Amino acid sequence: MPAETHTNQGPLDRNGVFELIRDQLADILETDPSSITEGASFAEDLDADSLALIELVEALEEELGERTVGFRIDDEDLEDLRTVRDAVDYVYAKLEAG
Amino acid sequence: MSRRGERPTPETLATLPVAVDAMGGDKAPGDIVEGARRAAEEHGTRIVLVGPPDQVGDTQGLELVGCTEVIGMDEDPAGGVRRKKDSSLVRAAELVRDGKASAMVSAGNTGATMAAALLRMGRLPGVVRPCIATPLPRLGRTPAVLVDAGANAECTAVMLVQFAQMAAAYVSARFGTGSPTVGLLSIGEEPTKGTPLVKEAHGLLVEAAGHGFEFVGNLEGRDLLPSPADVIVTDGFTGNVTLKSLEGSLRFLFDTMLGIFGTDDATRGAAEVLLPHLLPLAAEFEPENTGGAMLLGTDGVCVISHGSSTATAMMNAVLVAHDCATRGLADHVAAAVRPAQST
Repeated sequence: MPAETHTNQGPLDRNGVFELIRDQLADILETDPSSITEGASFAEDLDADSLALIELVEALEEELGERTVGFRIDDEDLEDLRTVRDAVDYVYAKLEAG
Repeated sequence: MSRRGERPTPETLATLPVAVDAMGGDKAPGDIVEGARRAAEEHGTRIVLVGPPDQVGDTQGLELVGCTEVIGMDEDPAGGVRRKKDSSLVRAAELVRDGKASAMVSAGNTGATMAAALLRMGRLPGVVRPCIATPLPRLGRTPAVLVDAGANAECTAVMLVQFAQMAAAYVSARFGTGSPTVGLLSIGEEPTKGTPLVKEAHGLLVEAAGHGFEFVGNLEGRDLLPSPADVIVTDGFTGNVTLKSLEGSLRFLFDTMLGIFGTDDATRGAAEVLLPHLLPLAAEFEPENTGGAMLLGTDGVCVISHGSSTATAMMNAVLVAHDCATRGLADHVAAAVRPAQST
């Protein structure tokens, strides 16, 4: 079931969340989006440092904040997000919880 | 959260104030405000201070944009910027992002300054990671620039090439150097010397040369003062260690010489003859006269001044920030990196 949103941009399903994270990450890391898979590790496979992850978080909050009012990624949860899949699952669950 | 709308033209930037983090640095706010006031009064540079009004105190007649928080010198950089959205650093970066300031200057937490600039102004298109360019004196000539002086402890070879491109654009914009020369810091002149990173970067720099810079090959640590190249490129870890080693060595040398002078009549006589020649040299090596380090790769000008900046250091940093902004530094850096995307 797609995540509920509060605007008219339409709901975002899990694949949509993955595509959003993949594209934002590709922009931040200046890499080809097709090279970013769900199983990729931020640190080991993508060479994403802590600042790059903060860039990703802020970009996601800005993008998703327009869809879901007050959308925020908690700082203390960041340490648990080690792969793209972790991030997709986390964001999608947040959106579903609304 | 990056820049909204078009980047202001150099003509517009010339009319905007420089945003000064009034709470950044060991001597803040006193020396910071004083340096900003001197830049305004002695050089006509418009200033906007940023800081909590109750902590900044007397603004010496300068405009103040108030905020409620300060990111400490020892705080986690990215976390500090994320948690303290109403801090002087973040607000200063937002003034640049929103087209209300031409540039920002801070003598505060280096990592947080970089994070604030990156997260609020955004990266220029094509830039993988911003880097810090620090001037190295060359007596009687324009300074060389060491890049990266500490922003990125771990780098790829592609990043080093971008650092070279951005720093070359910087020395061209700031000093008017045509086709700057770039040297790669290594442990030998031969291309086969160095770490795998250095050897790979050497090959990429050979390929990239001719577009905005000329590559002169490897340089060793002993070549840096004075540097034969306009730009010395290295990773941020090596660059920071190198910079601090040079600073410490020079301080030791000058302190030792001053300690010898005056120990007896002979050295006092020698001091009378030598000091008029040595003091101007010491001034060239003095970090507070260089105007601070430039953050390259963000969509706006950001000068990171030494944590121990005095009023003179801050004044010079403000002047460099304003000068580089009005020369369109961000545009030059963006243009320098752009060709790399198509290669």
